[in-house]
Amino acid sequence: MNDNGCIHLNNFKAAKGTHPYKIVHAFFVSCTSYEARKYKATSCLCFTCGKTGPRMHSCLHCIFFGCYSGHIQDHSKTKKHFLYVDLGFGNIFCAQCQDYIYDRELTDIAVTYKLKQAKSLGLNVPYTPWLPNNNEAMALRRLRKRRLISPHTTIGLRGLQNLGSTCFMNCIVQALIHTPLLRDYFLAEKHKCKAQSSGKCLVCEVSKLFQEFYSGAKTPLTLHRLLHLIWTHARHLAGYEQQDAHEFFIATLDVLHRHCMNGVEDIEKKENGRCNCIIDQIFTGGLQSDVVCTSCSGVSTTIDPFWDISLDVAGPGSLQACLERFTRAEHLGSAAKIKCSNCRAYRESTKQLTLETLPIVASFHLKRFEHSSQIDRKISAFISFPAELDMTPFMSSHRRAVDMAGADNNNAPQGIFEDNRYSLFAVVNHLGSLDAGHYTAYVRQMKGSWFKCDDHMITRASLREVLDSEGYLLFYHKTVLEYECDVS
Amino acid sequence: MTVNNTIAHQRLILTGDRERFKDLLMRRLIECGWRDQVRMLCREAVKENEGGNVNFDTLVSRVTPRARALVPDTVKKELLQKIKTHLLTPKD
Ligand SMILES: [Zn+2]
Ligand SMILES: [Zn+2]
Ligand SMILES: [Zn+2]
Ligand SMILES: [Zn+2]
Ligand SMILES: [Zn+2]
Ligand SMILES: [Zn+2]
Repeated sequence: MNDNGCIHLNNFKAAKGTHPYKIVHAFFVSCTSYEARKYKATSCLCFTCGKTGPRMHSCLHCIFFGCYSGHIQDHSKTKKHFLYVDLGFGNIFCAQCQDYIYDRELTDIAVTYKLKQAKSLGLNVPYTPWLPNNNEAMALRRLRKRRLISPHTTIGLRGLQNLGSTCFMNCIVQALIHTPLLRDYFLAEKHKCKAQSSGKCLVCEVSKLFQEFYSGAKTPLTLHRLLHLIWTHARHLAGYEQQDAHEFFIATLDVLHRHCMNGVEDIEKKENGRCNCIIDQIFTGGLQSDVVCTSCSGVSTTIDPFWDISLDVAGPGSLQACLERFTRAEHLGSAAKIKCSNCRAYRESTKQLTLETLPIVASFHLKRFEHSSQIDRKISAFISFPAELDMTPFMSSHRRAVDMAGADNNNAPQGIFEDNRYSLFAVVNHLGSLDAGHYTAYVRQMKGSWFKCDDHMITRASLREVLDSEGYLLFYHKTVLEYECDVS
Repeated sequence: MTVNNTIAHQRLILTGDRERFKDLLMRRLIECGWRDQVRMLCREAVKENEGGNVNFDTLVSRVTPRARALVPDTVKKELLQKIKTHLLTPKD
């Protein structure tokens, strides 16, 4: 098999060029415009039997549509028109070679038109796997040492020494190391350091850490240098006493984001002015707040970025119930009047939070620790959480559609093609009491393969065990990644 | 195909929804590993036919029945339900 076509196609291209293929593809395979869809909808019927299939083909030599149950073949034989195009996929059949043939030039045209179609329909670009170019293929061939990843591999798993109450840090590092997209970023060596001395760059340190985790070595690691670097950048976390894992998680994201920002990494700010560093690309979502004035029904909307969602746990028994309550409209009483710009006066209002944009990694913080002037306590209530979570009900767009259609219609038609499914990949647990506690983490190493990380000890775990645990921080990864269209 | 069917079919193409459903189906089949399974079936079929010339038609006739049977019920159900909902939603 090659992609140089066949002699028949090459002769055809020499005589007529690629124009006939382009026309067929743009109008009847990809439909790059509304005009094209109109043609396809009304005229794509077999010229012989009038049906829409099976497997409609178009003659490349003349205007003729025929189905693959014999009619396109008949046409090809009687007219000696040997090349025809499959309208479902755009592949070219050569009747003289009696098979579909591949031609690089025409394949490139097909790819471009497919992208144009995706753009005209507002679809996400389909994922195309990485293919090595000539240089990369050569480099790979030169590389002798290879590692085969088997289904039972323990690659990427390493314990972390406890340096005296540093389990709060170990469990966050384990969760970050097993964040699929972050792992891909660092293992692909995407961080190009421009810091004066790389010894001070925290992002470089994390990059090295990923290499250590995936080196294949099994001995537990010590995080002296990382700890030191974080301490120098987040002084409030310094010292060897037990800290809150959630606080450490947010501080780590912040330090990493700042290191990316300090001109260390090329940052293209997005149109909305938000930071586009790897941390923000993965962890940042948009929280929408709608405040509705009860007098004039005027709405004031603000959208704020977030890295995680903190949820009250008193009352509801599941993550979904917590989220349901988090996004419910709440009446702000007479004691909390807000100035309405419409009424130009302080008014009572309702406030509703919804998710405007979802991050690739959705991090939930179950507020198990209560700190007040009277009492510090831990809420150990069991909160169930699913392995697969659909975030659609908590989205701003969904709430709007539900409000407009009435509360009983949950099938907002515009949501059919949206995909907001998330999969659990890490859970941080706090065991014991407020002042004598210990942190551990469950991480998903591969699909369906869970491990418990208890400082230097790594043991296999079942999904049931994970879901039955007293979760403190829950990490979900978008199940299917989407890619933005990049064609003009 | 009845007139009503033809109109529904044409409307699906015209609005681009047919492509959207196709795209959704493709994503689901990739996610659940169906595409990889079918790829393996094709590979086996080519291997079995060693020496002989395997063309697309023989491959299709050999792999299609098994490939059809491998489509998970959850995928069929989701697509069916979504297409139904979509067609029953009144359009202006
Ligand atoms: Zn012809
Ligand atoms: Zn026909
Ligand atoms: Zn040929
Ligand atoms: Zn660096
Ligand atoms: Zn950033
Ligand atoms: Zn007002």
